[in-house]
Amino acid sequence: MGIHSIVNTCSHLQNAARARLGLTSIPNTKYNLRLCLALHRAGFLSSVTRAGPTPPLPEELLAFETEPVTPANVATRRLWLGLKYYNNEPVMRNVQAVSKPKRLVTAKLPELAKVARGFPQGQLRGLSLGETLFLATDQGVLELREALEKKSGGLVLCRVS
Amino acid sequence: MSLARPVARRLVASSSSSSQIISTPCHQLLGSSSKREFHSTPQLEARRKNRPRFSNVRAAEMGLVDEEKIKQFSKQKFPKYTKEEMVELQKRYSPQQIEALKAGEAAINPRDLTIQGRLRVDPYKMPYIDDFAESQPIIDKRPQNRAPPDPKANWMGLDEFTADLIKWADQFQTGEVTGTMKKVVDFVPEEWKKIAEARWPGEVRDEAHKQFKKYLQAEVDRSEKEQKAKREGRSLEEDTSGPTDGDVLQYILERSVMTDNGLVSNSSVAPALPDKVPGVAGMGYKAAVDPEDQGLDDNGIYQEVKRVTGMSVKDLLALRTRRIWENRVSNQTRLGKIPSFYTMVVAGNKNGWLGLGVVKSADPSVSFEKARLQALRNLKPIPRYENRTIYGNVSAKFGAAVVELSTRPPGFGLRVQHRIFELCRAAGIYDLAARVPRGRNPMNVVKATYEALLTQKNPETIAIGRGKKLVDVRKVYYSGAPIPELGQTQHEERRF
Repeated sequence: MGIHSIVNTCSHLQNAARARLGLTSIPNTKYNLRLCLALHRAGFLSSVTRAGPTPPLPEELLAFETEPVTPANVATRRLWLGLKYYNNEPVMRNVQAVSKPKRLVTAKLPELAKVARGFPQGQLRGLSLGETLFLATDQGVLELREALEKKSGGLVLCRVS
Repeated sequence: MSLARPVARRLVASSSSSSQIISTPCHQLLGSSSKREFHSTPQLEARRKNRPRFSNVRAAEMGLVDEEKIKQFSKQKFPKYTKEEMVELQKRYSPQQIEALKAGEAAINPRDLTIQGRLRVDPYKMPYIDDFAESQPIIDKRPQNRAPPDPKANWMGLDEFTADLIKWADQFQTGEVTGTMKKVVDFVPEEWKKIAEARWPGEVRDEAHKQFKKYLQAEVDRSEKEQKAKREGRSLEEDTSGPTDGDVLQYILERSVMTDNGLVSNSSVAPALPDKVPGVAGMGYKAAVDPEDQGLDDNGIYQEVKRVTGMSVKDLLALRTRRIWENRVSNQTRLGKIPSFYTMVVAGNKNGWLGLGVVKSADPSVSFEKARLQALRNLKPIPRYENRTIYGNVSAKFGAAVVELSTRPPGFGLRVQHRIFELCRAAGIYDLAARVPRGRNPMNVVKATYEALLTQKNPETIAIGRGKKLVDVRKVYYSGAPIPELGQTQHEERRF
């Protein structure tokens, strides 16, 4: 599974948040969807909706049922993400991809525990105030603290704060 | 292999081609060599990614840019007002507004609307299309429908004031209290008022007397009613036309004291004061010394700072101020070098407030004093974690100077360069590490540090933004008990 779409997504989300967009869209891939759901769980996104090439209506953003994906429409599907702002500042200000297609960064459980406490470990800087890491593990895309809870290391995707 | 390949490809290409190519003469085959396929992937034209799936159909080909079509569409979508519509509009709008409407209609060509106009219909369209039917005070300028102020208006003298008061009182016709009774003259048309009664024409005189009689009767009825009410002990306020309390208040607050007949103007410029304002002339300006200052500020140096910060002079004097940089700078002009002294002063209350003052002046002592006052004025709160260090690691850049500040555990101390140390002492920060990896210009380093201290992240804000609960693990580790705060004096004893 290539990492390039995640790297593109990270850059795009950071650009979109700094441009103060309310709604943005990324290609509909499984990897993107999992990362977005993890970001949503961590409170960085207000909504994740699968829809066509035009933005869904405001009331559809929070609808549970979306249009089903069929072979006829799968090519046009996109993920529409609601971005969050508080106090005139984006909630998600920095989104830095850690693993790149040329160099994948993985971390085992003891290493992750160190990073979570703020100490550097290998290629990873320690977490500072308000920072989170997102990892692709065999239990799905998880936030660092979720991964520690599930005792699972994996591929470090991005650093968000 | 490299030699063999082109031949092989050529063989493959010619063998896989249709019989048409085989039947073409040799020279033609050579002439069309650019069309031959040397590889199995389709040619560039065919595999171009951005090629549209459908060929474009030009608007002209669909007959959409005909003058006829444009005219028809304009006529259908942007028709002129019919006579009936104009009649309806005239009922709703004033003649001036109708004129404006007509001018607006004439200014915009329907053809332009057809060709260039776009009306968004998507759900995210901005609701800014406005028919200007209402004025919106936030967006629109205030209508300037009043005359400019009278430049010749002056303060009322005693006589003018008396005349003005009588004029005001005359509008309340109560006979007893103020004002005068009306006379027969008041009931004739304007042109006869200045002419003696004997020379009035018969019908004018009769009409005036008739009206006057009616007025007298009404006055008598009213006074009777009033007396009756007085006897019965009830007030008859609704019937009296004397000045009410509201009228008196309005007179005091709103009546103009200038000789401009109470002209109200849109101008925000107040009329200039005359040379001598009656009642104030000759009293002169005296510096106000506030008794609250307890004699600490007889020269009035701190009055402005006191007003801005809301602190007392005693508290202001108790703040810690330090000069952290000064040098002589010069401005090269055609007259030569003009020297001045640049001073940077930091001020703080050692308890989370920090200010920076930067001043240039010809005299070093003036420069220091002004920078000090400016630092006091600029005091801003600095967020502190556990009242001893900063929240997280912050960095800031000013010019070429980059300052990276790091939070540190209790007892770490201030392992920072001396100017940052002075800032920390003034702000009441006791544990901190700082790196200045790039430019070390003292002025820029100090400004960058100040900015870094002000741009700390607030955990509360982060938690609210994400809708998450963030917990300080240090507090959890000590079973929720607040860490005993080291008092100011303890810190002082411990470290300095």
